[in-house]
Amino acid sequence: VFGRKRAEQATGAIRRVVPLDPDRSLVRAAQADPARFDALYRKYLAQVYNLAHHELRNHHEAEDVTERTFLLALGALPRFREEAPPEAGPEASTFRVWLFRIARNVVANHRRTIRRRPVAPLEMAAAATGEDVEAGAVARAQASAAWAAVARLPEDRRQAVTLRFVEEMTTAEIAGVLGRSEGAVRVLLHRALRAVARDLEAWRGGR
Amino acid sequence: VEGRPVSWPVTPGTLETLEVEALVVDRYLDSLLAAAERRAADAPADAALDPALRAAALRLRDEVVRVHPSFRFEERLARRLAAAAAAMRLAPAAGGEVAPLPLMPELAAFEGGPADAADAGDPARLADTGNPGDPGRPVNPGDPGRPPGAPHPLLVGGAVTSALLSIAGAAFVAWRLTRGATDSPLARSALDDALDGALAGAVADDPFARGVPEDPLARVLRTVRAALPRGLA
Repeated sequence: VFGRKRAEQATGAIRRVVPLDPDRSLVRAAQADPARFDALYRKYLAQVYNLAHHELRNHHEAEDVTERTFLLALGALPRFREEAPPEAGPEASTFRVWLFRIARNVVANHRRTIRRRPVAPLEMAAAATGEDVEAGAVARAQASAAWAAVARLPEDRRQAVTLRFVEEMTTAEIAGVLGRSEGAVRVLLHRALRAVARDLEAWRGGR
Repeated sequence: VEGRPVSWPVTPGTLETLEVEALVVDRYLDSLLAAAERRAADAPADAALDPALRAAALRLRDEVVRVHPSFRFEERLARRLAAAAAAMRLAPAAGGEVAPLPLMPELAAFEGGPADAADAGDPARLADTGNPGDPGRPVNPGDPGRPPGAPHPLLVGGAVTSALLSIAGAAFVAWRLTRGATDSPLARSALDDALDGALAGAVADDPFARGVPEDPLARVLRTVRAALPRGLA
């Protein structure tokens, strides 16, 4: 993400970096004509789906979350502003960050619903349906000791790692999605990496 | 991290060390992911970084699994979004004063509340109130009048059911506004498309309706359609 320094606000507010939104033209077109939202949808579908799949480890639930995320985004798009007001803090909102914040909240709400209404775990469901390619991908992911260690991390660290490695977001973008400072995100990633390294050591020792 | 319990004594020295280490890790990750992007075979080496951390980062990069949704799902959701977009376009075309998308306050209210109960006291989350009307905002975005802890309205069949009910509602209101304009086949066609999409989606593909013998949304949509004049329905 390219950035530019904003001049100090007339009020003397702090200097901050506001990322330029590479989706600006697509967003403006979609705001003028909702039918043009399709371009944004096609661009980010796989990314949103990936986040949901990494978080929920279930193909159907990932689809549900993806669907809700895009419906919400379409509905709220007229209210989307490329830049949050200064009092909003450092997480100036670009479309991608904004979309992933929606996705993150939909995932969290989905989890709450599941906690209230538990269902059979993924392994059982896959076994029952003889699930195919997706199940293979999940099995491969589970076979990876590193990503298995990530799955055991606390939620905020896990999401930071997923956004960094899977979505290849910058620290600034992750900060926007998680609603934290960049420094806090860096510390989250550092701790997550330490935990993964520890798990890998233990895994090698136990083999 | 502010607001969270820590399990070791934090002194200015340890905090500074932690931040510096975190910064080094962050720069290493930048170069590691950039190397992957340009398909460089070698991984960047950073002597300042603990080799165990380097190895962990390398494995995470190499073993990442990305999945893609099915083409069928992609197209089905594209149709739903097109139907919702048509409903959004239709009402202003009829001269009505329309909120951005009537379904969304309900949907946002359903999705509202803190993203995670455990996170409710997190200052970082509570501070996240800058973008009013932002659905990414965790606290009751669609209903500022309702306090954060208040119970959500009961919605039949889940959020998407609510969304599509509202699409049908918006389409119906728009049709009522255009009743006099019988020379507007475009508006009628758009309305018809919106209903078609919503009805087809609700009946055939709604993941929330899986395993539900009779979908209440489909019933409502059929009722709306039955109320339309013959040329339109």
